[in-house]
Amino acid sequence: MKLRLARLLQCALLFTAVNICLADGNNSISDSELGLSRSDVKDDPVPEAYTFNPKFPGTNDFLPRAYLNAPPQIPHNIDRLTPVTAKNNQCKGCHDRPQMWGTKRKGLPTPIPESHYTDLRNDPGTVTKKLIGARFNCTQCHVPQAITQPLVENSF
Amino acid sequence: MSVTRRDFIKSSVAAATAATIGIHASQNAQAATQEAEADWKWDKGVCRFCGTGCGIMIATKGNKIVATKGDPDSTVNRGLNCIKGYFNGKIMYGKDRLTQPLMRMSNGKFDKKGKFQSVTWDQAFDEMARQFRKTYQELGPTGVAWFGSGQYTVPEGYASVKLMKAGFRSNNLDPNARHCMASAVAAFMQVFGIDEPAGNYMDMEETDTVVTWGGNMAEMHPMLWARVADRRLSSNHVRIVNLSTFRNMTSDIADTEIIMSPNGDLAIQNYIAREIVKRDALDHEFVKNHCVFSTGPYDIGYGMRATDKYAFNAEKDTQINEIRHKLNKHEAIAQRRQEGEVVEQKNTATAGNHWMISFEDFKKGLEPYTLDFVAEVAKGDPDEPIEEFKEKLKLLADYYADPKRKVVSFWTMGFNQHQRGTWVNEQVYMNHLLTGKQCKPGNGAFSLTGQPSACGTAREVGVFSHRLPADMVVDNPKHRDVAEKIWKLPKGTVNPKIGSHITKIMRDLEDGSVKWAWVAVTNPFQGTANAHHWIKGARDMDNFIVCSDAYPGISAKVADLVLPAAMIFEKWGFYGNAERRTQSWRQQVSPPGQAVGDLWHIMEFSKRFKLKEFWGEQKVPGLKAEGFADGKLPDISQSARTMGYTGEETLYEVLFATPENKKMKWPDNAVAKGHANHVAEALGDGWFPEKAMFEEYASFGRGHGHDLAPFDVYFDDKVRGLKWPVVKDQTTGEWKETHWRFNAKYDSYVKHGPFEFYGEAMKDLPSGDLDGVTDKNKKNLHGKAKIFFRPYAAPVEQPDETYPFWLITGRVLEHWHSGTMTRRVPELHRAVPSALIYMHPKDAEKLGLKRNDLAWIESRRGKIQARIEPQGRNRMPRGAIFVPWFDEGVFINKVTLDATCPISKQVDFKKCAVKIYKA
Repeated sequence: MKLRLARLLQCALLFTAVNICLADGNNSISDSELGLSRSDVKDDPVPEAYTFNPKFPGTNDFLPRAYLNAPPQIPHNIDRLTPVTAKNNQCKGCHDRPQMWGTKRKGLPTPIPESHYTDLRNDPGTVTKKLIGARFNCTQCHVPQAITQPLVENSF
Repeated sequence: MSVTRRDFIKSSVAAATAATIGIHASQNAQAATQEAEADWKWDKGVCRFCGTGCGIMIATKGNKIVATKGDPDSTVNRGLNCIKGYFNGKIMYGKDRLTQPLMRMSNGKFDKKGKFQSVTWDQAFDEMARQFRKTYQELGPTGVAWFGSGQYTVPEGYASVKLMKAGFRSNNLDPNARHCMASAVAAFMQVFGIDEPAGNYMDMEETDTVVTWGGNMAEMHPMLWARVADRRLSSNHVRIVNLSTFRNMTSDIADTEIIMSPNGDLAIQNYIAREIVKRDALDHEFVKNHCVFSTGPYDIGYGMRATDKYAFNAEKDTQINEIRHKLNKHEAIAQRRQEGEVVEQKNTATAGNHWMISFEDFKKGLEPYTLDFVAEVAKGDPDEPIEEFKEKLKLLADYYADPKRKVVSFWTMGFNQHQRGTWVNEQVYMNHLLTGKQCKPGNGAFSLTGQPSACGTAREVGVFSHRLPADMVVDNPKHRDVAEKIWKLPKGTVNPKIGSHITKIMRDLEDGSVKWAWVAVTNPFQGTANAHHWIKGARDMDNFIVCSDAYPGISAKVADLVLPAAMIFEKWGFYGNAERRTQSWRQQVSPPGQAVGDLWHIMEFSKRFKLKEFWGEQKVPGLKAEGFADGKLPDISQSARTMGYTGEETLYEVLFATPENKKMKWPDNAVAKGHANHVAEALGDGWFPEKAMFEEYASFGRGHGHDLAPFDVYFDDKVRGLKWPVVKDQTTGEWKETHWRFNAKYDSYVKHGPFEFYGEAMKDLPSGDLDGVTDKNKKNLHGKAKIFFRPYAAPVEQPDETYPFWLITGRVLEHWHSGTMTRRVPELHRAVPSALIYMHPKDAEKLGLKRNDLAWIESRRGKIQARIEPQGRNRMPRGAIFVPWFDEGVFINKVTLDATCPISKQVDFKKCAVKIYKA
């Protein structure tokens, strides 16, 4: 069963996947082998437990960006640093460092870049020293990553 | 120049950022960026996800998307995206994309109990057509159904309407947008006579006060919330109030948070209205010149089945309320009745009826909604002192009543997914109209949209069981005439009987009254409440279900035939967002394998049918309409012949590839600029189907307040979508969008006076009092809006000893809807790997549950397992849990209740009773 699943997944890597699978003698797929939760729709599967990276800020490697210019993910635990509220934005406490623009070093907080100090709506030409309100809610773009495997590979 | 790879990536990022914000970057960095992007091609597009409609820029290299970014030229989002938005490209590259048709087979033949096998497109369409004919011959137009989508592109949605309504003469076409926007629509039609918001996103920068009612904007519309947050953080006098049944991310930036009980919003809004009247804070001029008062029946049921024949035993005590309902203490006061009174629900079929009342009656209706009463009904956090709660209600009333304060109210699913969704939508207009704070910059009640084209496609095109394009409806003979003329079809073609709404299609599959259904660009078998019934309907009944999709979700798993679909940037399209902005994109890359766009699925299928198959008399049980024999659609073959049809034409030739449409040629290099169109190429007969469908659809709305610009205008490099009505400026020749509707300063459709609510629907009304109609003579209210009195009513199912918790469902920022796209992006999956049970820490402790413990959630309808989260972004009051629905492995809709707003038929996913125990 496991083997067959793996094989199906492998086949799905190719765009003519199912064709190849089926020609291979494995000529049918049950519905429970399709989709993200490999189970029958009538089953009540047990969701896997997972945890987020428990490490504190300053002790982690950078996470790779998904592509050129994609927002970086958060490489440390934020359980005790969130929620980001109007009165208490703890992300800013470490990352709001205009004097450190252009530097990025392991063990030091990555400074929020110049782009976040520029009001693209009202004054796109000016870099200020104040984090723009539209960028205030950090977790709208930057998210921590749980220790878990992707459900499906992605070839982007 | 020599740069290491590391330097190169670093400098390239820096320079790209610099280029976006227009500041100087070092020449080295700029050069490196140019090198990195040298062979990239950038083009404009629209985000695939929510109704905000963020503009994005898409970079392709060869036949692959390599990057996307927020479009700095888009006024919607000015260069930003939320975390989902940044993965618009990556969602298309999950390794289990569907790349060929799959059909359940045994021994080389279709078998409902068989396993999936790959088939050719011809085999797929042959079986699909054979099954369609079998059902159509047995049950007629009501035996077939189609689940459409607010994620359809405009041309796709239009083609689905035309094939179903003009071709198959069936109205059983309804979108997932029914689950998302129907209550908003019903209220727009009843209050204004025309659908969609008057204002636009600039209201966020113009206003002083933002009130969010049951809409967690910070997660569900993050880029709009960025605008609101920016406004608040840069102006000290601006205030934000968040009303919700639990603390969420929107509360985190708000000045005031009001945690209310489920349905408490109905009482709170009447309290505000009562205060406005009591304080004489009405805008008398505005109300006198532009509004009338109105109300409707209260005994309207809860949108459930009228019979318990199909109910599980445990469900029956909830279902009985559809027939008769015992008023509780609060309802009795709110509705001027007796506690314990049993009210027969006589107006379930006429829930939308309404009539004019006097201002005196309106005031009488509001009288019970005192601060003390409303605080008792609406306080949602048992740990909050009542005096504190009252102070907040007073403050909220102050904001609405203060003539110097501009107010914008936003909402989404908290209002729309509500057993009195239409009422609660109407109440928010009540307070904005009473104070004259409507359709003015910075002032207005603003319904936000969940899906990228719930407005543009589902609503405007009319992908609903009762609608035709441009706000027209099938049960209006004049509207059918207009449609039949534009479609060049004989009178009597269009079925006048409203079809099944999306939840009813599910019920129809369960009871065998629908036996053929097509699911497209949606995942209704995961997304519809009370799912055990519908899974049974799909798998255990004798029927045939087709699912067009890009990835296999729950709906594909229960289907009999799965058709592989192209995804967003693999095809051409248009979406329309929540501020009436219609936006377009070109095909950027080709779809994988044999996947093809949904427009082709529809058109290719239509080639398999001839006119003569549908133009005979058709049975439609229950049809009663002027000019029609009872229970029948007429034989129209004779009049068709006089129009020059022989009956041998295919539906494709008559509905789609018409001589008129074929004048729009593909290739069209002026618009395409080198971009391909796999749908046009697959059809292969030299026309441009997206353009032809768009233009034909646009002809419905032009000159009627729904005007769209010509197709090509939207593809102009300088255009970032346009807000309809788009009207040509007679002096400059430019296409001008409309910022605020119904306001003479901004809207060229206003002909009389400073404000005119010119929508024409439901504008002839009888008169009466709070209890009913007293004068049946109808008066026309041309140009006026209606201020509705609507009472408080309790949710039909409430926590009790057996099921002591409220269950509220919804979304999370990182995942889109049923998760079929975003859960295939590893970064998004790792951000939120599965759906959790958000619960108050004291409740968890009482149940002996800790963070990450596994627990059962059980209702009268089913039970599932998930893990406990007593902290985090959603902070629940005691007695309520929140579970998001994106995770097919935590199939929460097996637990939810399928009660709907009886007027809009939209399901309330926010209120049912459950028990929780350790697994």
